[in-house]
Amino acid sequence: MSAIEALYIFDEHNTLLLEHVYRSRPLEAKVLLPLYLSHSSPRPSLIYLPNTNPSTLVYSIIQDQLLFLSPCSTDTEPLQVLEFLHRVADALEDFLGSPLLASKIETSYDVVAQLLNEMCDGGLVSCTEPNALRDVVEAPSWMNKLLGGVGLPSTTPSSLTPSNSSSFNLSRPQLPRPTSNTLSSVPWRRANVRHTSNELYVDIVETLHITLAPSGRPLSALAHGTIAFTAKVSGIPELLLYLSCPGGIANTIALPVFHPCVRLARWRERPGEFSFVPPDGRFVLAGYEVDLLGGDYLSSFTKESKANSQPRLNIPARATVTTSLGPQGAEFEVKLLLSPRFKNASSSSSASSSSSFPRATGLGTRSGSAFSSAGTTSQPSIDEVVVHVPLPVSVRNVADLRVSRGEATYAPGDVGIEWRISSREVSALMASSHGGSIEATATLRGTVIGTSTDDDSSENPSTSLSMPNPYDYNDDEPTPYQSSELLPKPQDERSLQQHNARKVKMNKVLMPSCATVSFSVKGWLPSGIKVESLNVDQKRSKGLGAGVQPYKGVKYLCVSRRGIEGRC
Amino acid sequence: MESISRISSMLETVVFTVELPYASFGLCSLVTSTARDLTLEAARDASYARKTSTRQLPQAQLKKLLDSRSERDVQEGLRKVIMMTYREPRSTTLPLFTHVIKNIASPSLEIKKLVYIYLLHHAEAEPDTALLSINTIQKSLSDSNPQIRALALRVMSGIRVPVISQIVSLGIKKGAGDMSPYVRRAAALAIPKCYALDPSTEPQLLEYLSALLGDKQYFVAGAAVSAFLDVCPSRIDLIHPHYRSLVRKLVDMDEWGQLATLRLMMVYARKCFPRRTRRVKKSNTKANSKAATSTKGFYDSESEEESDTQPDHNTEEIPILDPDLELLLKSCAPLLQSRNSAVVIAVVRCYLYLGTLAHIDTAIGPLISLLRSAADIQHIALYNIVQVCLTRPEPFVQYYTHFLVCSTDAPHVWCLKLELLTLIFPYAPQRLQSLILAELSHFSHSGFQDPGLVREAVRAIGRCAQSSVTSPQTSARCLRLLLAHIGSADSRLVAESLEVIRHLIQRDPDAHRTTVVRLAKHLDAATSPQARASIIWLVGEFAGVDPENNIAADVLRILAKGFADEAEAAKLQIMLLAAKVYVHWLNANQPSEVAAPVVELKPSSPKFLEGFEEEGGFRDSHTVGEEKQESKEPEHQHPIPALYSYILLLTRYDTSYDLRDRARLYRALLATPTSAQLASLLLLAPKPVPHTPSPSETRKGYLLGSASLVVGDEGGVGGLKGYEALPEWVKEGEEPDRRLRDEKSSENGREYDAGKVTTAGAMLDMAAAPSRGSSDFGTPPQRGLNGFGSGSRVGANTAPKKEKTLDDWRAARRKKQRLRMKGNETGW
Repeated sequence: MSAIEALYIFDEHNTLLLEHVYRSRPLEAKVLLPLYLSHSSPRPSLIYLPNTNPSTLVYSIIQDQLLFLSPCSTDTEPLQVLEFLHRVADALEDFLGSPLLASKIETSYDVVAQLLNEMCDGGLVSCTEPNALRDVVEAPSWMNKLLGGVGLPSTTPSSLTPSNSSSFNLSRPQLPRPTSNTLSSVPWRRANVRHTSNELYVDIVETLHITLAPSGRPLSALAHGTIAFTAKVSGIPELLLYLSCPGGIANTIALPVFHPCVRLARWRERPGEFSFVPPDGRFVLAGYEVDLLGGDYLSSFTKESKANSQPRLNIPARATVTTSLGPQGAEFEVKLLLSPRFKNASSSSSASSSSSFPRATGLGTRSGSAFSSAGTTSQPSIDEVVVHVPLPVSVRNVADLRVSRGEATYAPGDVGIEWRISSREVSALMASSHGGSIEATATLRGTVIGTSTDDDSSENPSTSLSMPNPYDYNDDEPTPYQSSELLPKPQDERSLQQHNARKVKMNKVLMPSCATVSFSVKGWLPSGIKVESLNVDQKRSKGLGAGVQPYKGVKYLCVSRRGIEGRC
Repeated sequence: MESISRISSMLETVVFTVELPYASFGLCSLVTSTARDLTLEAARDASYARKTSTRQLPQAQLKKLLDSRSERDVQEGLRKVIMMTYREPRSTTLPLFTHVIKNIASPSLEIKKLVYIYLLHHAEAEPDTALLSINTIQKSLSDSNPQIRALALRVMSGIRVPVISQIVSLGIKKGAGDMSPYVRRAAALAIPKCYALDPSTEPQLLEYLSALLGDKQYFVAGAAVSAFLDVCPSRIDLIHPHYRSLVRKLVDMDEWGQLATLRLMMVYARKCFPRRTRRVKKSNTKANSKAATSTKGFYDSESEEESDTQPDHNTEEIPILDPDLELLLKSCAPLLQSRNSAVVIAVVRCYLYLGTLAHIDTAIGPLISLLRSAADIQHIALYNIVQVCLTRPEPFVQYYTHFLVCSTDAPHVWCLKLELLTLIFPYAPQRLQSLILAELSHFSHSGFQDPGLVREAVRAIGRCAQSSVTSPQTSARCLRLLLAHIGSADSRLVAESLEVIRHLIQRDPDAHRTTVVRLAKHLDAATSPQARASIIWLVGEFAGVDPENNIAADVLRILAKGFADEAEAAKLQIMLLAAKVYVHWLNANQPSEVAAPVVELKPSSPKFLEGFEEEGGFRDSHTVGEEKQESKEPEHQHPIPALYSYILLLTRYDTSYDLRDRARLYRALLATPTSAQLASLLLLAPKPVPHTPSPSETRKGYLLGSASLVVGDEGGVGGLKGYEALPEWVKEGEEPDRRLRDEKSSENGREYDAGKVTTAGAMLDMAAAPSRGSSDFGTPPQRGLNGFGSGSRVGANTAPKKEKTLDDWRAARRKKQRLRMKGNETGW
């Protein structure tokens, strides 16, 4: 039953890096790969190959351009296999360094082999916790290479660095590592962690997913948040992380998921408080999502009937598309709108800005002073603005591509136009707009050219179009085309108009239907969530010297990866 | 939850791009995070590493390294060998076997590990030489270092040499009693490997396994459960004594142990807890039903009788949960916040198949949270969400924003999202319904990248309109949306829309008479042959409705003029239309087969004529001329037969075989007016109403979370190989005695286990005799026997094993219930 049969890793050119078989005799990598590649891209993460022997399920993930494949000949739980593949990728990255490159795997096959054997034993997943793996597998490092195989009891690289702080108060004498790991009381944290400089970092990343209707009204606005935590603290620390948010954490954060180290009871009692013993190193503490529109948005907006009476979302950048411009309706225009709040020298404080969210009714009092101390958020600025305009497959070319700023790339046959605006140009753009509350705009214009068979195929409809309507059953609607006022007009003008109308209709098929914006904003979160404090509970922590105050850092990042979609 | 590497990549992308201007990257794309990979450092590293790593040493030099006395050299040599095993065919590394194995006794842990890795890869090819190493490995089993002990156990069981199965079995026995949990876990994981090596070791292995299942360490128990599922998933009798401790450990296990335990418990619960339901008044609030559940179990026989005697329509069935089952469902709850998507799905699966509606409702949110994960997980999660949504759509309505399609979604993702939208549509409030419709029509408008999306969106509109809960107004709105597509320049869209419109009309023909008229008007605009054919067919279907005021004949007349220019599909339909119209005419004009009415009806035909002439410019000279030419009896022929024979004439000289063939058929069929009855049977047979279920209906039978659910019927009927359907609930009275699950105190447990071990042989023989014979252990009679049999061994006062009469069963059950009541009174 659900067992991992094998793991294959391919590099970006689809050459085999690694073939590791766990049990039975699965399909070989060189047989599997062409079958996998024969599926058209984008390939689903689970592909069934009925014509192989044995008929095989192929699970795949792509991490850092490396392709991880796992064949299975029996029914398995797909998510179990995929999660395992992700864990393998994480572990490899943890041990070999990020980003995961083919060359790194090639230089340290011995480490990779140990990892793969530890993580999965005879097809059953056994241990995927990075800290536990650190206990049994040694990371390649400079020290390791220098000492290479002298037969010393191996030590972790961190403990090899000379420890100059004398305040370490080890609860037990240092034992050879393999023995000590069995004593680790916390499964996700390795024993005997020691760091010379104690550091704690909280990175909160929110990914925006906003869909704007043609009217500009948001249909959905979700921010997917992830709290990445880096703990480099000696001993077994007890940490307390407090989040706060205008409007209350409980009303903001929805559908959270947690690392196993987080005490769920504490969170349920007091949302916004994380109490946990962190693993050593970097990990994802929690994930959550925020509905930026609020739960009752749908019922509220139609009651008010006016679009502009809507509570406006604070979107750093968005795009609108206007189509069927020009006499033949072949032109389109994409407008990029940048919110003035995120110019590089913005003076507005982020705390006040979050009040513009629809949900934040009655926040007021708490928001002001508490957050400004963070300091990192005073001047959020927008970077890496890229607009993607996907085009229908029938578009053969785009002529006359003009942009007011930045650089647009399109080659015939591409799936869409990519329009990049560098941060320098963004700031220039911001400066040229008159500050204040007006959004800075940049435009892109282009003309689509469809496939050449348009004119041939349009002959038939023209004959049927010009045929007078001989009978009339109009019981419930006006005639949809060729209203009678056209008839008295001179023949040529009429046919020209008709021709153009037809052209417009034909070109309508070629129009882009949306534009997506990617960007990143440092120091600002759309949800308004802030790290209130991060404390080490000195009483309950072990192994951290008295009076040692770890260095703490907080980073906020808002990212959109083609997440802002403006439709038309 | 996003994996840490993905989050790191986001954070790092920013850092790098701040450092380096974009210009240096050229066309790298943000989405694939190439920027991150192409940092200068990485690129340099790559070029350097490629050169060094692919360099290979000649065999002789490798051997020298491996034979060296310096540990450092040996390690270096082993590294090279490991690299070669991954990169080269096995034949290049196999000659080194003895040289590598020699180092197995090395005191260095690092070297040992590498040798073990080599051994695992190559032992099968050289079983005899591999056996030489067994002694050393066996020695390592009693090493002072638990890590080495665990490693040795793992490697020994991993060597695929069947001869050593007894040694492995002994090793597992030793490992299962080890002090270190790491070794015990390795022992648990070795059990399936040993079983695969030699199935005859099963009795011993089960012995070890049942001890490991009761292990106090969370990750040992989890591994033991995985092994149990691998070796003997049907032996649930081994689980009874550990059920409660396993369920309690569930929260603290690692994710993989949780997964295995949840899968096991789902099957266990189905086989051990009969589904009891209780009728309650519908007006009862949830609190009341809660109270009812807590007092259940004692009086349920009475309550069943009650409900049997008065089957009331105001009542609904509420499942009553066994306290042990409730314990399971309760301890699952924290796992809904797990970062592992597979665990979340496993919990939902438990709730869906074991729990109540209230349980499912709590699981909806966590299900939705899976959509935040990486794209690959999102895709699988969507399948599972659809599956849950098919059984319980209401709670999904509030999460509609997650189902809106983005332009970046891959086809397999938007397909499922559209399906979800249509599934929640009937339960959505008015405003949301219109939003969903607007959404669907946005995607159905041509111009979007993917023709498949257009098609699916149109079908989705159709499904929305067809749903039984949809109000007629909304249905009409859906139809309007579809009708608007008919004039589109995109032929696919038109064809697809018509297809759906046809379905809609067929479902309720009476309400759509005007729709057909409107469609017929669109014939002028529709260019795609498929669309025209579809419209013509619809007109033909409606030719019989409301004969006084029907357009079919008129449509036929107009189409006849342009017949030569039509495509074949349309021609076929025109001919069919002609035949249908003719049959209708025949039926109307010849109610009986007597010749007299024909004469009588003669006056009525001018009336028809008049009607047509009033309504539209009937008969231009051209048609009349042709008709005359063709029909030789000019003045008295009714236009309908004339039209019919005209079409027949045209088809006779068509280039298409198919068309000519069909024409011949109709000609023969309608040759004499007297055969009209037969013809109408053929042509006017009522068509079955097309039913378009949600695409995932076909997979509804598959288990949540299984791969068969994703693959669907493509994987063969009954799922993929290895797919196991959910067992049915055990029948009331056939479940194993619940006291089997009672826990002993820790010492007693030991003793009990030991006692069980001694009797195990006998017990196994008895219990396994029927179970071995038929592979399915879970068939009711056996289960009953097993449950009671083991119960009596424990010392319960159940009825002796013999053919039980119904009365005996009742007596036993009452006794049990009384006991249970007692148990409860004593505060248990």
